[in-house]
Amino acid sequence: MRSAEGGDGSGGTGFGWPGRFGRVQQGERLQLRLRNLYILPTSFGLLWLGGALLLQLVGIQTQRNGPLLLSFLMLTLQLLALHLTHCNLQGLELECARSEPGFAGEPLTYPLLARSRHARNAIRLRLAGQPAAVRSAPPRRIPAGTSSIELPWRCDQRGLRAPGLLLISTTAPLGLFVCWSRWAPAARQAVIPARRPGPVGRAAPTGTAAGTAEAGAWSEGSEHWHDLRPHRPQESQARVAWKALAQGRGRLSKVFLDPVGEPPLLMPAAGVEPERALQHLAAEVWLRSRRGEAYGLVLTHQRVPPGEGRQHRNRCLLALATAPPRTLPSIPG
Amino acid sequence: MFRRPPAESSLPPRQLQWMAMAALAAGSVGLDPTWLLGVLTLALLLLAALKLVEARDRGGRRLVSLLQLLVCGLQAAQLPDLLPSLVQLLAAVLSLAGLLQLESGLATPWRRLLRQSLQVLAAALPMALVLFLLVPRLEPLTAMPAGPTGRAVTGLSADLDPGSIATLVDDDRAAARVAFGDDRPPPAEQRYWRVLVHERFDGRRWQRDDEDEELLRREPGATEADTGLGSTPEAAENRDQVWLAEPSRFTAVPWDGRGGSADPSLRLKPDGELRLLRPPIERRSYRLRPTAAPLPWQRRPPSPEVLTLPAGTNPRLLTLGRRWGQLPDPAARVAAAQAWFQAGGFRYDRRPGALPERNGLDVFLFESRVGFCGHYASAFSALMRAAGVPSRTVSGYLGGNWVVPVGGASYLELRQSDAHAWSEVWLPDRGWLRVDPSGWATAAAGEGPAAAAERADTPQAQGGWRWLQRQWWGLDMAWSRWWLGFDSSRQEALLAWLLGGRRWALGLVILIGVVLGLVAALVPWQLRRSRPRRDRTARDLANLLALLRSLRLEPEPGETLEALCRRAGQAYPSLAAPLSELASSHAQRRYAGPHGRHRAAQQATTRWRRSLRQLKQARSSAIRQASGSGP
Repeated sequence: MRSAEGGDGSGGTGFGWPGRFGRVQQGERLQLRLRNLYILPTSFGLLWLGGALLLQLVGIQTQRNGPLLLSFLMLTLQLLALHLTHCNLQGLELECARSEPGFAGEPLTYPLLARSRHARNAIRLRLAGQPAAVRSAPPRRIPAGTSSIELPWRCDQRGLRAPGLLLISTTAPLGLFVCWSRWAPAARQAVIPARRPGPVGRAAPTGTAAGTAEAGAWSEGSEHWHDLRPHRPQESQARVAWKALAQGRGRLSKVFLDPVGEPPLLMPAAGVEPERALQHLAAEVWLRSRRGEAYGLVLTHQRVPPGEGRQHRNRCLLALATAPPRTLPSIPG
Repeated sequence: MFRRPPAESSLPPRQLQWMAMAALAAGSVGLDPTWLLGVLTLALLLLAALKLVEARDRGGRRLVSLLQLLVCGLQAAQLPDLLPSLVQLLAAVLSLAGLLQLESGLATPWRRLLRQSLQVLAAALPMALVLFLLVPRLEPLTAMPAGPTGRAVTGLSADLDPGSIATLVDDDRAAARVAFGDDRPPPAEQRYWRVLVHERFDGRRWQRDDEDEELLRREPGATEADTGLGSTPEAAENRDQVWLAEPSRFTAVPWDGRGGSADPSLRLKPDGELRLLRPPIERRSYRLRPTAAPLPWQRRPPSPEVLTLPAGTNPRLLTLGRRWGQLPDPAARVAAAQAWFQAGGFRYDRRPGALPERNGLDVFLFESRVGFCGHYASAFSALMRAAGVPSRTVSGYLGGNWVVPVGGASYLELRQSDAHAWSEVWLPDRGWLRVDPSGWATAAAGEGPAAAAERADTPQAQGGWRWLQRQWWGLDMAWSRWWLGFDSSRQEALLAWLLGGRRWALGLVILIGVVLGLVAALVPWQLRRSRPRRDRTARDLANLLALLRSLRLEPEPGETLEALCRRAGQAYPSLAAPLSELASSHAQRRYAGPHGRHRAAQQATTRWRRSLRQLKQARSSAIRQASGSGP
C-alpha cells in the first residue's frame, strides 16, 4: 500500500497529492495557519473509513454492540484525527537562518529556525527535486520554543541559490490525514563551484608581467624539495631523509624551498572553459587555505588582495560563487 | 531478480504490534471455525500476521493495525462475554498504540505511548458513545446463516429414550445462567425451563423435529404474531431475563415459555421451542421480557401427529389409556391418570435399570414402577395419547441454584444435572398445559422434581473453585445484562425518554452531541499542549517557596536557596534542621541527572519528601505555639 503522501520510501517523482496542490508561500518567513494549510485523507484514512463501515455492517447483521461501538469509535477517531493532524502544523513558524556556503555537487545544509509554542511530533520537511535519499528523511520532532533545523540538499549549479519548493507535511498522530503547506524559502545560499584540481593562472603582482612569478628568488620553506644537508638536533624528525639513512649515508635533513616574494594572485587559467576554470580555482583556494598559505584572487568583477585565514578563504570562495558567467578574464598564454 | 526493497530505517520495532496480535490470538479461542464469520476472523488474523512479518514500510505497518482492529470487531461480534470483551479491549488499545508509535517515532517510551493511546481513546469515546446510544439501529439486512455444526457437546439429547438408560449419571457442568431484572428468583412452580419438544413417538423413544428446518426463517410478509416474539407491551419490565447459554448441540435455548424479545435472531417454533440463530458451539446470550398474555404456541391447536401411537406396542398401556378415554372430559382423563400414578406405588429413582426393547413402557408401568423423569413423562404422554388427549414430552431444566455473588448480579444457575423431562397435554379450553408426572412418584430425600424446584430458594454455600467460578459468573452476568441488554428496544426507550414525540430532533441532538464531544476532546488537548510542563524538582521548589512565603520569608534578590533556608532557620530555629536538609537535597536533585533516573537523584527525592514532611509538622507546631503564647 502506498499512502497518499507518497514519500514513504516508495520512490516516485513527487510527494503525491501534497506535492501538487496548494498555493506556494513565498518569503523568508512562514507562519502556518488556516489559510496556508491544506488537509486531505490519506489512502490509509480511506481504508480506515471502509473498515469502520464494514464493522458497522457486521454490527447490524449480528445485532451485537461490540462491533457497533468499535465502528463508531473508529469513525470518531477519524474525526478527531482531522483536527489533531491540523493542529500538529497550525501555529508553527519557520524562518530562514544565516547559511554557510557549500560546494556544488556536495551535500549542503539549508538552515531554518522553527518557533513553536509546544512540541510537535512527526513533521516532515522535504525539498522538491532532491534525490530520493534526501527526500525520504525520517519525520522529525520539533521541540517547544525556538529550534534550528538543517535541511540537507544538493545543488549542482554554483551561485546564490534558493533550495526551491519546501513541503512541510505531517500525518501524525494516526496517519489518517495528511496536512501540508508549500513554501519556497527566499533566502539564498552561496553555492561554490565544485572543487576540481587543475591548472590555475597567476596574475603578476602589481607592476610585473602577468603569469610569471619572480624567477630565482627562493627562501627556505616547505613547498619544493631542494637538497639534503647534515641533520641538526634541533630539526624536526619529519625532515630526516630516512632513505639516505638506510643507504648508510648518515643522518641527513631534507631542505625545502618556497618561492620568495609577494603571495600569488590566483586567476582563472588561460584556455580553460570559464566555469571549469572557476572549479580549479575553488580547489586551489581550498588547498592553499588548508596549507595555511597566503594567496589572492583576481576575477573580472572582484579582486581579493592576498591574505590567509578562514575569513579570507570564505571571501574568495564567495567571489568564485558569485562570479558573473561568461565574463571571466582570459589571459593569453 | 526480485529483491525486497530495503526496510525504511525510521520504522519503530514491531513488538507492540506483535503483542496486539497475541491478544487477538488469545481472543480467538472459542470462535467457531465452521461459521462464516469465524472463518473470516481467523483468515484476517492470519493475513495481519503475515503482513506484519512482511511489512517494510510505514504503509504496510499501518495496514496491520487496521486489520487488527477489524479482527477485534469481528471477535466482538461473536464473543460478547466479559472475558473475551476484556481481551478485545486490550487488543484494541495495543493496536492503537502500535499505530501511534508508527507516527511518533522511534524513541517514544512505552509508557508514554500507552498513555497517549489511552488519551486518544478517552478523547474519542464520548463522541462514539453519543453515536452508539443515539444512532437508530437497523434491522439485519439478510437472514443469518446458522445451524448445527459437526461438533457435539453433551447435554440434552434429541431423542427422549429413558428405557435405554440404566443409571442417570450426574453431569455437573454448567448449562445456562439467567438473571432477572429485580434480582429475585421466580416462584418455584415457574422454574421449568423448556428447551426441546418431542412430538414423534415410535413406541419407545420420543423424537423431535430436525434442527435445520426452514420453519426457522421468518417468511417474507410474516407478522410478529407468527413468531410470537414481537415486542409486546411490558407486563413486568423489571422481570427482564438475561440468559447466557453454554455451548450445546442445539440452536434451541432454554426459556420459560412466556416472553417476548426484539432480538431478530430469536425464533419461536410453533411447538414452543425457542431457537437462537447463532452457532450453538458458542456461548450464547439473549434477553427475554416476560409478557402477561399467553403466547401463540400455547394456543396453537395440536397437529394429528400428537395423537399418534404405534399399534402393537405396549398393549397393557393401550388398554389402560383407552379405558380413561371413555371419560368425556379430557381434564378428567388427566386427573384419572394422576390418581392412578399416585396410588400405584411408583418410586422416583435415578438408577432404575434398563427396560426391554419391546413393550418397555408396559414393564415400567405395570412391573418395575421405578424410574426417573424421562420414564414418567414418556409413559404419561403415551397414556394420554391412548386416552385420546393430544400430548407430547418436553425436555429442559428444572429449578437451578440461586447464586448471590459478592459483586455483580445475582443469577439462577442451571447445570446439566438439573436436566428434566415433563409432559404437555392439550385441553381444548386451556391450550397446552404442563404436567409433571415425576412429582406423583415417591422420592427419596433430596431427589425428585420437588426437591429440585426448592433448591433454588436456598443460596448455595460452597467453597473453593466453585465459589470463585460463581463470583466470576456474577460479574459476567452483570456485564451481559448491561451490555447485551442494550438492544434496539432499549434504544427506543432511551430515545422516547430523551425526545418524547419530537423524533425529528434526533439528527440535531446527535450533531450537537458530537460537536460537544469534539470540543470536550480538543480543548483540554490544546490547553495541555500550550502549557509547558515544569519538571518535578521545579514544582517542588515552588511549593517550598510558597510555604516559606506563608511564614513571611521572601527570597531576596540574588539570594541562593541555601542562604534563604539559613535565614529562615535563624528566624524559626525549630525549622532549621529540615530546611538545611531540603536545601542540600534540592541541589543534589537538580544536578544529579536528567529526569531523576539516577540512584542519587532518587535518594535525594526521598530525602526531600521526608524533610518536607518534617518541615510541615514543625511549622504547624510552631504556629500552634505562636497562637498559644499570644494574648
